[in-house]
Amino acid sequence: MSSRNPGMDLDLEWVSKVRVNTQAVLKRAQQVQGCKVAKKQWQAAWLLKAVTCIDLTTLAGDDTPSNVHRLCMKAVQPVRQDLLKSMDMHDKGISTAAVCVYPSRVADAVKSLKAANSSLPVASVATGFPAGQTPLKTRLEEVRMAVQDGATEIDIVINRTLALTGQWAAMYDEIRQFREACGDAHMKTILAIGELGTFTNVYKASLVSMMAGSDFIKTSTGKESVNATYPVAIVMVRAIRDYYLRTGHKVGFKPAGGIRTAQESIVWLALMKEELGHEWLTPHLFRLGASSLLADIERQIYHYVTGRYAAYHELPMA
Amino acid sequence: MASSTSNTVYDIFQSMDSGAPSSSTAAAARAWLEQHSQSLGLFANGKFVCPVGRRTHAVTDSKGGTVCSLVCAEDEDISSCASSAAAGFKAWGELSGHRRAKVLLRLASTLQRYTQCVSELCDLCQSPCPPSALVRLAQYYAGWAQLRDTLMPEWTPRGVIAVVVSEDCSFYSIWIKVFPALAMGNAVIVVPGAKLAPPALLLAQLFMEAGLPAGALSVVTGDGSVGAKVAQNNQISYLTYSGSQQDGEVFSKQTAGWGLPLSVCLSVSAMCPFIIFESADLDSAVDAVIEAAFKKNKDWQWVLFVQESVLDSVSARLKVRMAGLKCVSLPCESDRSRVDAAVQEAVQQGATLIQSSSPPASGALYPPTALCGLAPPSSAAVSPPPGPLLPILSFRSAAEGAALSNRTPHGQAASIWTEDLTLALETAKSLCVGSVWVNSHSVTDPSFPQCGRRDSGNCTDGGREGLYQYLRPSVSPSLTRSTPASLDYATFGTAASKFMVPEGFDPSSVPRSCFQYVGGKLCKADSGSSRTVQSPGGAVLAHCPDGGRKDVRNAVEAALKVQPGWMKKSPAARALSLYSLSDNLEKRKLDMATSIHAQTGISIEEAEKEVEISITRLSDWAARCDKQTGGMLLLPQTGSALSAPEALGVVGVVLPDTKPLLSLVSLLGAAVSVGNAVIMVPSEKHPLPALDFIQVLQASDIPAGLVSVITGGRNQLTHALANHSEIHAVWYWGSMEGCQFLQHTCCSPLKHLWLHCEEEKAKDGGKYWSHPSPSVQEEMWREAVVWKSVWIPTA
Repeated sequence: MSSRNPGMDLDLEWVSKVRVNTQAVLKRAQQVQGCKVAKKQWQAAWLLKAVTCIDLTTLAGDDTPSNVHRLCMKAVQPVRQDLLKSMDMHDKGISTAAVCVYPSRVADAVKSLKAANSSLPVASVATGFPAGQTPLKTRLEEVRMAVQDGATEIDIVINRTLALTGQWAAMYDEIRQFREACGDAHMKTILAIGELGTFTNVYKASLVSMMAGSDFIKTSTGKESVNATYPVAIVMVRAIRDYYLRTGHKVGFKPAGGIRTAQESIVWLALMKEELGHEWLTPHLFRLGASSLLADIERQIYHYVTGRYAAYHELPMA
Repeated sequence: MASSTSNTVYDIFQSMDSGAPSSSTAAAARAWLEQHSQSLGLFANGKFVCPVGRRTHAVTDSKGGTVCSLVCAEDEDISSCASSAAAGFKAWGELSGHRRAKVLLRLASTLQRYTQCVSELCDLCQSPCPPSALVRLAQYYAGWAQLRDTLMPEWTPRGVIAVVVSEDCSFYSIWIKVFPALAMGNAVIVVPGAKLAPPALLLAQLFMEAGLPAGALSVVTGDGSVGAKVAQNNQISYLTYSGSQQDGEVFSKQTAGWGLPLSVCLSVSAMCPFIIFESADLDSAVDAVIEAAFKKNKDWQWVLFVQESVLDSVSARLKVRMAGLKCVSLPCESDRSRVDAAVQEAVQQGATLIQSSSPPASGALYPPTALCGLAPPSSAAVSPPPGPLLPILSFRSAAEGAALSNRTPHGQAASIWTEDLTLALETAKSLCVGSVWVNSHSVTDPSFPQCGRRDSGNCTDGGREGLYQYLRPSVSPSLTRSTPASLDYATFGTAASKFMVPEGFDPSSVPRSCFQYVGGKLCKADSGSSRTVQSPGGAVLAHCPDGGRKDVRNAVEAALKVQPGWMKKSPAARALSLYSLSDNLEKRKLDMATSIHAQTGISIEEAEKEVEISITRLSDWAARCDKQTGGMLLLPQTGSALSAPEALGVVGVVLPDTKPLLSLVSLLGAAVSVGNAVIMVPSEKHPLPALDFIQVLQASDIPAGLVSVITGGRNQLTHALANHSEIHAVWYWGSMEGCQFLQHTCCSPLKHLWLHCEEEKAKDGGKYWSHPSPSVQEEMWREAVVWKSVWIPTA
C-alpha cells in the first residue's frame, strides 16, 4: 500500500480562494456520463473492477451476527465461482474491498472473516453516524473502540454545523483528533454533501478534510436525501486533484449511497479515470459504498458469460 | 487498436482500457445511398435530377473510402434549376404564413422520423450534426413563418436566395441560413461543399415529404466555381456565403458587379479568445477549454488567455487533464507539416509544450498540444494551423486581457471565465465579438443572434435580427440585376478631377466658396483644389473643396477619437444632441429650402416640404435613441442571455443625388443615433444643401468630429472610403461601377456594404426617402447596428 496522506497545516487562504461554477460542473457531469465503455469483455472487466472496489455495507438497526456473517461471506466470494472461472478470473483474488458495518457489529464481522481465513478489512462507521450530533468525547471514544474491535478502516462523519458556519479551523481540529484516534486504521471522511448546501462548501470541506489527514473523502452517509451524485463527485475529485498537485499526496474517493446498478458503477469508474487517471482505479484510492449494487453487477456478469438474463434466485444472496 | 481476441478480461481488468467504441454500420444511410446507386445528382423542381455526361467527383469517408459520387452542375442545369426555383418562390410565397409554418413543423416531425439516417449520413460524410439541432431549427423558424405577417407586415421576401456554403463549414451552417430564408417566404438554392452535399440532398428530399412546393428548395452540387455560377443567374436576388476567409474573398470578387447583395459569414477557423480570470472556477475552465480546443471538428480556433496570477495553476491542471488524451486526426495529410512547422517555430521562440504524448512520426494524427508562453507576434498565436493546437498567452489586468483579445482581425465569439458578474459583463462589453459565453462556450441556439465582427462576417444569423437579411421593405424598389462591367479596379477613383474654368459667369451673383467639415473644423481640401457647384441651369452656384484620401484619413482620425465616447454616452444624452440638431435645422429652415431650390431646381414649396420632413426625421431618430434596444433572449437552456445592438464604428456614406437634405439627415440620424461616427460624402451633383447643413451641425451639440462632410468626386472618395480599414461600413448610392468596385474591394478587410445603384433608384423620384413606412427607418437602423449576445448560463 502506498504511503498515507499525512495531512498538512490548515491553509485557510487556499480554502478561501475556492470557486466552483455550478452549471459548468453539471455540464461536465453530463459529459462524463456520456463516456462509453465498449461492450463484451470490456464491460465484464470493468464490472469486476467495480466489485473489487466495493465496500459491501450493511448499516441497519436490525443487523445481527447472522446477516453480518452472510455479508462477510458474500464479500469474500462476491461473484459465483463458475462464472469467474469461465472468464479465467477465478484465481485473480476477486473480492470486495472491505465490509462496512456499525461499530457494534465490528467484532462479529472480524470473527466471521477470521473463520473464513480472509484478510478482508473491516470498516466501521463512527463518530455519531449518521448525524454526527453527539459530543466530541463520545465520538472519539467510538473511533477508539471500533479500532480496538479490529476495524482497520474508519468512516467518520464531519461536523456539518462547523462546515455550514464556516468554522473550518474547528472542523480541521476535530478531524485531526479523529485521525489520531484511528491510529493505523485508515480514515475515510464523510462530508454528507446533501447537507452542505453549495458545491463551493463541498470543495472547501474536501480540502479541509484532506489537510487534516483523511485517507479517503466520502460523499455521504447514505442517510441524507441527496447522496452520491456525479456533479458533487466531480467537485470532490477536483479537490483531490488540487490537493495532489500541491502536496503530492494521493487521497482516495468513496461515493456512497444510492448506487444500485451495474451501469452506474461503470460511470463511476469512468469518472475517476477521466478526472484523476488510471492510478485512482484501485481499491486503495477508490471505493464504492453500496449494499444492493453487487447483486446487479453479478447479474450483468452472468449475462456476459451465459448470454441470458439471470433470475435473482440463480445467484447467492448476501 | 487491439482486436477483441487478444484482450482477455484479465488484461482489461489490469489496463482498464475503455475499448474502441463499436463503429456504426451506417446501415440506414447506406441504404439511402444504394437507392441512388451511390451517384447523387442535383435536387431541382422537387426531385432528384441526374443529368448525363457531366463530370463527377467523389465524396470520401474518414477512412478514404468512396461514399458516393456527385454530379458537377453545368450552366444549363443551373439555369433550369433557377427557373424552377423562381416558380417555387411563387408557389411558396403565395401560401399564408400559417401554411408555411405547417410545412416547417411537418418537417420537424419528418426529421425526427429519419433521425438515424440523417445522422449516419452526416457522420459518413464527415460533417457531423446532431439531428436534434435541425429539429430545433425547424420548430423555431416555423414560429417565425407563422408570425411574419403579424410582426413584420411592411416587409416582403426577397425572392430566390442562393446559400453557398463551403465544405469546411459545419452542416448546421447551411440550415441556419436556409430555415429563416424559407420561413420568410423565399425560395432557396443551396450550393453545399462536397462533404455537405449528400446529407443536404437527403434533407431536401425530406422537405418534399413535408409538403414544401417543388422548386422552393433546390440543391446544386459541383466544384468550387459552381457557387459563383449560381450567383450569376439572374433569377437570384440575394446571396449568402459561409466559409473560410480566403475562399470568401475569392467568392466576393467573383460575384462583384452582378447587382446582387452578398452577405458573408467567415466563421470557419475564426480565432476566438478563451479568457480565464483569476476569479474563475479554474477546473471547470480547464475542462471546457480542453473540450473546445482539442476536438476533431471544431468550429473555431481558440486562443487561451490566462491571467498571470493563475497561469501556473492553469498549466498544471492542463498537464494533468491532457495526459490521457488521444491523438486527433487532422483535416488532411498536408496539414501535418504545417502543424509541425508551427510547433517548431513556437518552441524556437521559447514556448513550452504540454502534450498528451509525443507526436507520431508521420501521418495525419497529432496529439493535443498546448503552447505555453507564446507572445502575440508569434505566428502560432496569430494564425495557428488547423489541428489540436492551443496557444496560451498571459495577461496582467482584465483590461489588458480584453485589449489583447481584441488584437485580431477576427470577431466571432469569445468565452470568458470568472465568478465575478461585474467583471464578466464589463469584459463582455469591451470585447469586439458577436457572441460572448460566460463560463461556457460554443452554445448555440437559433434564437441566439450571432453576428461576426471585423473579418468574421457581415451578417447576423439567428433570432429576429437574423430574419431581416431575407426581407426587404415592401416600399423599396425591387432588385435590378446587372452584369459586371470591365472595370479596372486598380485605377477606379484615382483619376484627378478635371480642372475647368466654367463659362457663363453671371456678374450679378459672385459664387461663394464653401468649406468642407472635417474633424469639427471648416476646411479646404487637403489638396487645396476645388470644384464648381452648378445649378440645373448650368450657372455656377459655388466652389466646393475637391476632397480626397487625405481628407478621408483626417476625418477618420477625428472620428476614432470621439466615437467611443459618443457610444458610451447615455442614449438619452445622444437623443438630446439629435434634438438640438433638429431644432437648429428648424431655425435655418428657409436657408436650407433656398439652398435645395437653387441646387436641384425643384420649387421652393417642394424644397420647404423636404426640409420639413427632414426636421421630423431627425426628431424621429432622436426619439428612437433610447427606445430601440435588445433584450433578454429566451433560450431552451436555463440562464440569462442578453442581446444588444452595438455601433459599427465609423460609417462612410456616399449620398444620393435625389433629396440631398432628406437623404443626408435620414442616414446621419440612423448612424449617429446608435453610436456611430459618420463620414458623409454629399452627392457630386448636388452638394450645396449638405454644405449648408454644416452650419446646422456646427450650431448643434453633436461632438466635433463625429460627423464629417467631405465633398469631391464620388469615385475618388468612394475609393478613399473603401481603402481605409477603420471604416467598418460603406453605404453607397451611386453608379453600378461604384457598387462593383466596393464589392470587389471591401471583402478584405471585410466591410458592411449597403449598396444602391442610383440610376435605378432615381426612377421613383426619391419617394423612398419620404415614405412614411416604418420599415424604411427600421431598415436604416438595422444597417447601422451589429448585435452582441451574451450568454450567462446558470444552474
